[in-house]
Amino acid sequence: MLPGAERKGETVQHDRFTWRQTLTATLAAAALCAAGYVLAAESGIPKLSGVWQFGQCADGSRMRCLILLENDPLLTDRAKAFRDAMDEAAQPKYDCAPMSIPHMWTDPYSHQIEQFDDRIVFTYGKDDVVRTAWLPNSKHPKPAKNEFLYFGDSRARYENGALIVETTRFAFDPQGLNADFRLPSSTQKKVVERYTREGDDLILEVTTTDPFYLKKPWVYKVRSKRDPEPLALPWDCDASASQDILKMMAPKFPNDPPIKRLPVE
Amino acid sequence: MKSRIAMMIGALTLLATTAGAHHSAAGIYDLKVEMELKGKVKEWRFANPHPLLKIDVVDAKGVTQEWDVSYGGSAVTHLKKRGYSAQTFKAGDIVIVKGHPTLLKEAHGLLIENGNPTHEDGRPYP
Repeated sequence: MLPGAERKGETVQHDRFTWRQTLTATLAAAALCAAGYVLAAESGIPKLSGVWQFGQCADGSRMRCLILLENDPLLTDRAKAFRDAMDEAAQPKYDCAPMSIPHMWTDPYSHQIEQFDDRIVFTYGKDDVVRTAWLPNSKHPKPAKNEFLYFGDSRARYENGALIVETTRFAFDPQGLNADFRLPSSTQKKVVERYTREGDDLILEVTTTDPFYLKKPWVYKVRSKRDPEPLALPWDCDASASQDILKMMAPKFPNDPPIKRLPVE
Repeated sequence: MKSRIAMMIGALTLLATTAGAHHSAAGIYDLKVEMELKGKVKEWRFANPHPLLKIDVVDAKGVTQEWDVSYGGSAVTHLKKRGYSAQTFKAGDIVIVKGHPTLLKEAHGLLIENGNPTHEDGRPYP
């Protein structure tokens, strides 16, 4: 209470002054908030940096939404034919090759996001995978017409409070949609990631299209909590440990010469 | 049960059981069958992508077979959270393991889906 406020005659005036002051302050604050909102909407940069746990399906199905099933209705006949012809032992995963996106997100490991002025860097807790998504002000060159990449070419932008990452230019990948069921992805695969925040959670919405192997877009949404622990890196895949399980499987083509894999240096 | 296993090192006890679907393991292991083995640790490979326990098991005919005991999709980081380390098993340790055998009988592989191996006296590892 201000000095003299206890004097009745002046108290009214003081109250009026306080009311006007409060109204003015409220209007000013509202204006500032509105301006701030506009600025926030214009910048639209959500705070995503940090380590995040393995995402759980937002529909409550734990990780079901992340998995394209062996006979999933989304699969084209081409996808099913490839699945049936592909030799499990020929899958690159047995040579320590990482899973590409979107299948990589089925693995239960945390990941880290780092936001820089010209790029977003994603580091995954498995397979020592680091992806870079280039923001519009980056001078990073686009791939040449004859250049295809295991994790594709990722371009990022901020839009309405979300980080959008669009990835194309994938190399053909025999385990590109699901390594467990030998579901491939083509050079025409496109993966769009949309990252937002809901309270303390990270929300990732993924839309995958591939006209060769998917009848229509495959869409899912996962929610992640912050991980208080740093990533357990390096992963340091042991190729012999990766290949041990192959002897548990009957060869798909028993009349072919046995596979002798190249030594890993 | 424990004494019977002790008398019959390597004897296999087959128990019909139902198991939840495991997509990456379903084509390799018989998830409807559960088996218990007693063997001597030959090697403990605490490495990614999947740690592996190799044990020598003497079968009913007295023949020693090497079995690969797998923790399925678990990696080093997952087993560390359960208390495992590179020193959890030492060569020569006697262990009892329970899991699903490979569909390919001659492969001698076992998948531990739940629980942990135990010492002879029933104490669990790690």
